[in-house]
Amino acid sequence: MDFRTSTYDLVERFKRGDAEAFSLVFQKYQRRLAMLVHYKMSPELRSVAEVDDILQEVFLAASRDMNQFTYQSPGSLMAWLSRIADHVIVDAARYQNREKRRAEELLRFRSKSNPEGPEPVDSETPSRLFAREEGVQILLRKLDELPGEYREMILLAKFEGLTTKEISERVGKSRESVALLLHRALKRFRELEARIPSK
Amino acid sequence: MSSEETRKDRQSDSRGEERPLDRERKVAEALAAYVDRHAGEETVDIDEFCKARPELEEELRPLLESLNAMDGSSFPFQPGPEGEPGEKLPERLSGHKILGQIGAGGMGRVLLGYDDRLGRKVAIKILNRRYRENEPVRQRFMQEARALAHISHPNIVRIFSLGQPEEAPHFVMELVEGASLVEAGRPLTLRQKAALIQKVALAVDFLHQHQILHRDLKPTNILVSADLEPKILDFGLAQQLESDGRRVTRPGEIMGTPDYFSPEHTVPGSRFDPRSDVFSLGTVLYEVLTGSLPFHAESFAEQVRRIREEVPILPRRRNPDVPGELQDICLKALEKKPENRYASAGEMANDLERYLAGEKVHAVPTAYASLITGKIEQHIQDLEGWRRDEILSQYEFDGFRKSYNRLIEREDAWILEARRLTLPQVTLYLGAWILTVGTALLFLFQFIRLPGKIAVVLVMGVAGLTFWSGQRIWKRGQLRIGIAFLLTFCLLLPIALLLTMIEAHIAAVPSPHKKWELLGNVEEPYRAATNAQLWWAILLTLPACGWLRRFTHSSVFSLMIAVMGVALSLVTLLRLGWLEFAKNDPGWFYFRILPVAAIFFISAFAIERLGFFNDSRYFYPVAVVLTLMALSGLAAEHHPYREWLERNLAWTRGQIEYLFIANAGIYFALQAVCDRFPSAQMRAVAKAFRFVIPGHILTSLFLLWFHAYDRWQDELGDLVRKREARTFEILLPIVACLFIFSSIRKQMKNFFVSGMIFLAIGIITWQVDLFERQSRWPILLLILGSLLMVGATRYSAIKLAVSRLFRGRA
Repeated sequence: MDFRTSTYDLVERFKRGDAEAFSLVFQKYQRRLAMLVHYKMSPELRSVAEVDDILQEVFLAASRDMNQFTYQSPGSLMAWLSRIADHVIVDAARYQNREKRRAEELLRFRSKSNPEGPEPVDSETPSRLFAREEGVQILLRKLDELPGEYREMILLAKFEGLTTKEISERVGKSRESVALLLHRALKRFRELEARIPSK
Repeated sequence: MSSEETRKDRQSDSRGEERPLDRERKVAEALAAYVDRHAGEETVDIDEFCKARPELEEELRPLLESLNAMDGSSFPFQPGPEGEPGEKLPERLSGHKILGQIGAGGMGRVLLGYDDRLGRKVAIKILNRRYRENEPVRQRFMQEARALAHISHPNIVRIFSLGQPEEAPHFVMELVEGASLVEAGRPLTLRQKAALIQKVALAVDFLHQHQILHRDLKPTNILVSADLEPKILDFGLAQQLESDGRRVTRPGEIMGTPDYFSPEHTVPGSRFDPRSDVFSLGTVLYEVLTGSLPFHAESFAEQVRRIREEVPILPRRRNPDVPGELQDICLKALEKKPENRYASAGEMANDLERYLAGEKVHAVPTAYASLITGKIEQHIQDLEGWRRDEILSQYEFDGFRKSYNRLIEREDAWILEARRLTLPQVTLYLGAWILTVGTALLFLFQFIRLPGKIAVVLVMGVAGLTFWSGQRIWKRGQLRIGIAFLLTFCLLLPIALLLTMIEAHIAAVPSPHKKWELLGNVEEPYRAATNAQLWWAILLTLPACGWLRRFTHSSVFSLMIAVMGVALSLVTLLRLGWLEFAKNDPGWFYFRILPVAAIFFISAFAIERLGFFNDSRYFYPVAVVLTLMALSGLAAEHHPYREWLERNLAWTRGQIEYLFIANAGIYFALQAVCDRFPSAQMRAVAKAFRFVIPGHILTSLFLLWFHAYDRWQDELGDLVRKREARTFEILLPIVACLFIFSSIRKQMKNFFVSGMIFLAIGIITWQVDLFERQSRWPILLLILGSLLMVGATRYSAIKLAVSRLFRGRA
């Protein structure tokens, strides 16, 4: 086990003020969290906000509140990040709803009536690491094909990083049935792999 | 589909033989063990894991491989080789000797370099090794450098050169030595702090003009040198407004510092614009002024909520030395909605400059309105409760609410600003007034050297210019000045239209009678205009006023509409021959005002019913004034009225005082009617009518007495004259007393005051006439006065005793 990059070590380094440590935390969890965020977001929210933006916000919140985080077990940081993600998503959905009502009100930008105004910023969404990557797209397609119950198992086990015991508590099933479900989910996933080529 | 298929899977499983099910359990168990170990952040080798369970390997291995494959080795930002912190500094970069490291961030480091040739120290920003192979990140890093390289400003860090492609990505910039803004600001006076922020705001404006947003303005990014020159640095988040529109997100690096975030900054995927930087500037100003952050909170979520929703604690509450002007500027920059903030950092700098010059700043933060509104709405509810509990009378309640409403008219920022007269403001309105009068002169007179056509162009040009600049200034957020311009436009427009019509002979139809024309019969050098032209000019101005009312939300344009409405009505009367009546039959002249007053009453009530309270409140006073004018004119000038009175009630001798008393009766009826309307503004109208009643009656009585006494003195033996004089003499103090006591019911203070005054006059007339040279009258008054005072002191006891007396008798 690489002690330098263990979560505990990184968290402690960040709390001491090492900005780079957080960068590493970010990288370590980015993809897993992105997957989770993608499935936590409602379709409406997905149409207006990008996974990247939510992620950025989650990590921002995490870096701001890291001092409140206490390391308990190897998975606890991921669980904590996941909780923050829930909060950010709810918040974003609420805000978007409100924004929709207010509609467009940025009048300072360049338009016919205001030719001297600056060019609108972010007219195109920024580079979407998450969405652009082909591998991620294929993975998403496969996961989308899975029955909801199976997908949840994979999300919880693989991306949220829970132990089977934690999963069984979360979904209210016995550990044995969770293991079986996970097994079948993976089997189904393998079958899909044959249909949807990886590359 | 999901649940059904799952069920099918289960069914097929349960139908299978014992062995496969058992086997599946085992595989699942092994899988669960793998997942659990993985959850503990253990790196589990699949080969080893499978070797320990050879009998399951065939099935288990592909599953585990699938699971692992989900990590996606192709993901672009896998942690690179470790050991960054210990990475050795390069010897030289772009020909500069590297002396050491100044700072480090998530993405890059800042090194201290030495330029041998020029003999100066420089700062070199270098991208961390992890990102060097990452094209988007490199691109973004160099973009920052290029954005900066385009501009040169004394308060923005200068860039000297960009690194060559063969070297590690870096750029060389000016080495800035100094303290962070907050630290440097601590020992400074408030003026020095304001001057410092003004410089920063100007520099930020300069950036915006070059299409660059900073997006990470914070005190640590603004260094202040010993001679108090600030310098903006770290454009880590800077974004060129004019680039290809693509932003490169930086993995692993925090975008900005939440403490200095703008509300739109806290929303994932939201748009940024120059006003976001204005907000950050506001936060920096707040911190420099008060020493604390405006929106700091324990948790990120709470902080975001505060940034989005809460008005910060007023800077003056945190530091009472902060002048109101700086507080205004600070809160204006910290407005939640971008459109309420300064439209640019340059405008914020201008306002700071105004403060430094000792002038009134333009900022009117809506924060005050919302602060005041919140408190006042609560208080109005209290007041309503108190009225229900009868602590307050309806009249007191109306009065309070009226004053409060004046405070919370949020949409009417103009009123709020006009509460204080200042030199620039007075000058502004003086200028507007002189402009209007000058234009009026151009219209009124014909000039030898100035042909009418040129006068038209001149006046139209001035009107157009005031409108154009007015709406521009208003849009820029300087509401007070903008409205002054637009108001001037409203005054200039009818004049301009009139002049155009005169010159172009539009609507030059004369009235049926020459005498009806107001300005039609004037001679040189005056300019003649027909009533029709006047009428059209005013009519065409009305929609402009209406539009401006909608555009600015300022109710001062409602006042303009009301005034224009009066003018239009009067010109309509002119077109109907009103002027001739003024000469021949002034009574009818005044009578014709009555329908106009009625129209105003009806329209005011309709406007109020529609919910435009701020507009209707200008129509009511107009209606009241017109009514009073018409009725008074009628009483004073209408001969048939007087003659009728004389014929039918001979004892009145046709004196107009009786007509004024009759008017008072009409006002009484009107106020009784108005009081029944369920509207506060109608109640105010009722109060206005009520207000004039005692003056009318008491003055008339006094004058009647005076005339009668005069007549009696001419012929002392005439008993009829004596009786008449005596009647009024006795009536005056009695009616005065009636007014004094009737002031109680509707809380009319002027009833009380005028009653007192006329009572005194009546008492004096009694002494002069009834009790001529008799001392018992003043002595009687002394006794009466003392009795009343004692009685008032013991009022309740007396009242009880009297009621007991009556009950005892019963």
